[in-house]
Amino acid sequence: MIGNDLVDLRCALKESNWKRKGFLEKLFTPSEQAHILSAEDPFLHVWQYWTMKESAYKIYSRITKTRSFAPTRLACTYVSNGHGTVIMNSLIYFTKTEINGDYIHTIAAESSIQLEKIKIEIIQYCGEMPVYASKNPSCVSHHGQFLALVY
Amino acid sequence: MMSKEDLINRLKAIVSPYAQNKEALNSISEDTDFINDLKINSANLVDVILDVEEEFDIVIANEEMEKMLTVKASMTIIESKLGEK
Repeated sequence: MIGNDLVDLRCALKESNWKRKGFLEKLFTPSEQAHILSAEDPFLHVWQYWTMKESAYKIYSRITKTRSFAPTRLACTYVSNGHGTVIMNSLIYFTKTEINGDYIHTIAAESSIQLEKIKIEIIQYCGEMPVYASKNPSCVSHHGQFLALVY
Repeated sequence: MMSKEDLINRLKAIVSPYAQNKEALNSISEDTDFINDLKINSANLVDVILDVEEEFDIVIANEEMEKMLTVKASMTIIESKLGEK
């Protein structure tokens, strides 16, 4: 099983304020908070961690058939070169993140081999959501102007 | 003691800026799901929780926040927190 999550950076800037009191504490572990605050660009770091957590959670919630809002129980480790891991209840997920000027997109899988096989399609659109059901993606994420499909 | 209707109305005002489905917002009830029905972006759920804390002057622990995906679950937590006061 695979997962993905995309954050449109223009929307994130407008719709969220990571400096808001309590924001970091509710979403991130103490170690993640320390990394965010010492990062060169804390804003990007916040959203990279967030997409890592969300993409891993999408796999976790489908496997366990549970839903929850427990971001601090999804613990991120950033390895390097966009690669990282997320651990939830001793289950480990492997992630890969792409960051550009427009968006942050993270894909997640249950193994690093599976991660490398993921195909990504990112569509930019305005107004009506394009029809994508016929494409039968394994996971979908949409935020702001972007729709990300993974296979 | 606040009535259920008052509580739902105060919650409605809190979620209103984040709800993308305005129709579902207008017919909000105990059974409304923040993400599935109101189409609140998951990245804004934390803002809903922080707004609830401010509005009701309560502190919600991360373990309690885990269940706050619906109006009903939020009402239960808010009522129990207000009861502790």
